[in-house]
Amino acid sequence: MGFKDEMLCSNTHEYIVKQGEEYVIGLTDYAVDQLGDIVFLELPEEGSEFKKGETFANIESVKAASEIYMPIGGTITAVNNELVDTPEKLNEDCYENGWLIKIKSDSFDIDKSDLLTYENYKKELE
Amino acid sequence: MVKETYLHDKHVALGAKMVDFAGWHMPVQYSSIIEEHRTVREALGIFDVSHMGEVFVSGKDATAFLNKIVPQDITKLAYEKAVYCQLTKSDGGLIDDLIIYKIGIENYLVICNASRIDEDLNWLVRNKRGLDVKIDNQSHNYSLLAVQGPKAINLMKKMGYDLEEQKSFTIKPAVIEGIKLLASRTGYTGEDGFELLVENEFSEFLWDKILEEGQEFGIKPIGLGARDTLRLEAALHLYGNDLDETTTPIEAGLSWSVPKDKKADYNGKEVIMNQLQNGTDRKLIGLIMLDKNIARHGYDIYFNGEKVGQVTSGCVSPSTGKNIALGYVKNLAEICTGATVQVMIREKLHDAQVVKRPFIEKRNRV
Repeated sequence: MGFKDEMLCSNTHEYIVKQGEEYVIGLTDYAVDQLGDIVFLELPEEGSEFKKGETFANIESVKAASEIYMPIGGTITAVNNELVDTPEKLNEDCYENGWLIKIKSDSFDIDKSDLLTYENYKKELE
Repeated sequence: MVKETYLHDKHVALGAKMVDFAGWHMPVQYSSIIEEHRTVREALGIFDVSHMGEVFVSGKDATAFLNKIVPQDITKLAYEKAVYCQLTKSDGGLIDDLIIYKIGIENYLVICNASRIDEDLNWLVRNKRGLDVKIDNQSHNYSLLAVQGPKAINLMKKMGYDLEEQKSFTIKPAVIEGIKLLASRTGYTGEDGFELLVENEFSEFLWDKILEEGQEFGIKPIGLGARDTLRLEAALHLYGNDLDETTTPIEAGLSWSVPKDKKADYNGKEVIMNQLQNGTDRKLIGLIMLDKNIARHGYDIYFNGEKVGQVTSGCVSPSTGKNIALGYVKNLAEICTGATVQVMIREKLHDAQVVKRPFIEKRNRV
């Protein structure tokens, strides 16, 4: 565990956590709870590059369609394709098995400036 | 200011996610939309739909008045019967869709959409000129609870309500658990069920009692989220999505609610009769997506590379697992059941098949 202690969150509800040389990106539990039953997920191709703030994925719940944005810029090194086939599993776990993409980033130190610790992120939501 | 129904605090206590809908703070879901949806299809759900409008129309000319503002023939509506109809403008466009109940001699109950109550009242008043009619908006005094699902009849029987006489689309005064109410065998889910109109002060007691008595049938409170997926599977129109002031009943596929032999004149009759005879420029169709993408309200529909219309409602159908939608398209003969069209989703075209409506077999025909 310890996931929540290590991660940083954006105000658009993405999280990021360092794992070796890579960064794991996903949606916070708050975002998943707000979306409700998730029924569709579209993730980018491995190798594609995105800048901070760009839309990299699309997600839909029964209610509505939303976009997911890059909390930092980087190149995709892995995609959680299992989740694309069973997006409803994101409702059960958005961290350990519910990550969306892994990236390599050279701009983490610059891009992280507006990201919040999970604790501060939760406070902002109150 | 956002309005709250009498049952608002009950929803909050049940842990509902609340949203603003048509000026009301309403529960969108209590647990999960998919789970709530299945509960109604398989067992029993209770909805608070007190945001809906209740208008009593009475007076010497009540029948003539209503007959003048809807295509349905109100002179043929029998006592304690209900009829689905639309408030039409002179160009055939719709002010609202509603259910009219005959509850006495020259005495009717009109149930209309929360989002349209102001427009409806304005329209009713404008059309009553010279007629002896009393229009009495009682929306603020009544709560409306809907019990829907295959077990709804079991619940009603258990609560001491005799149903032998009550068929679909009828309304009767009833006393349930000592409370006087109007029980209508109608709903917005495609399932059998009842809508119970009760004075506000008794609504909390009735809500609690139904949840308690319904336990053995697996009852759950159901939010507006599942209400929307349930009605869409049953291909029941939602005003504001599938109907508006530019759509006519014929375009909307509601010809079944427009009698061809009605003698009396009504707003828009000329346009509507002409469309019945000569067809319309556009038509409402049902769609099933052929991939995993979901068509949503406002997405464009293409046919042979040409933009032919727009999606008006779309969602995942929890009962079938398919992605379903309603939309308007150019009235081309080629766009028929079985044809393939495309929906523009995130700048890409996705195939969809035109299918018959409803998307599920309705079980509310009693």
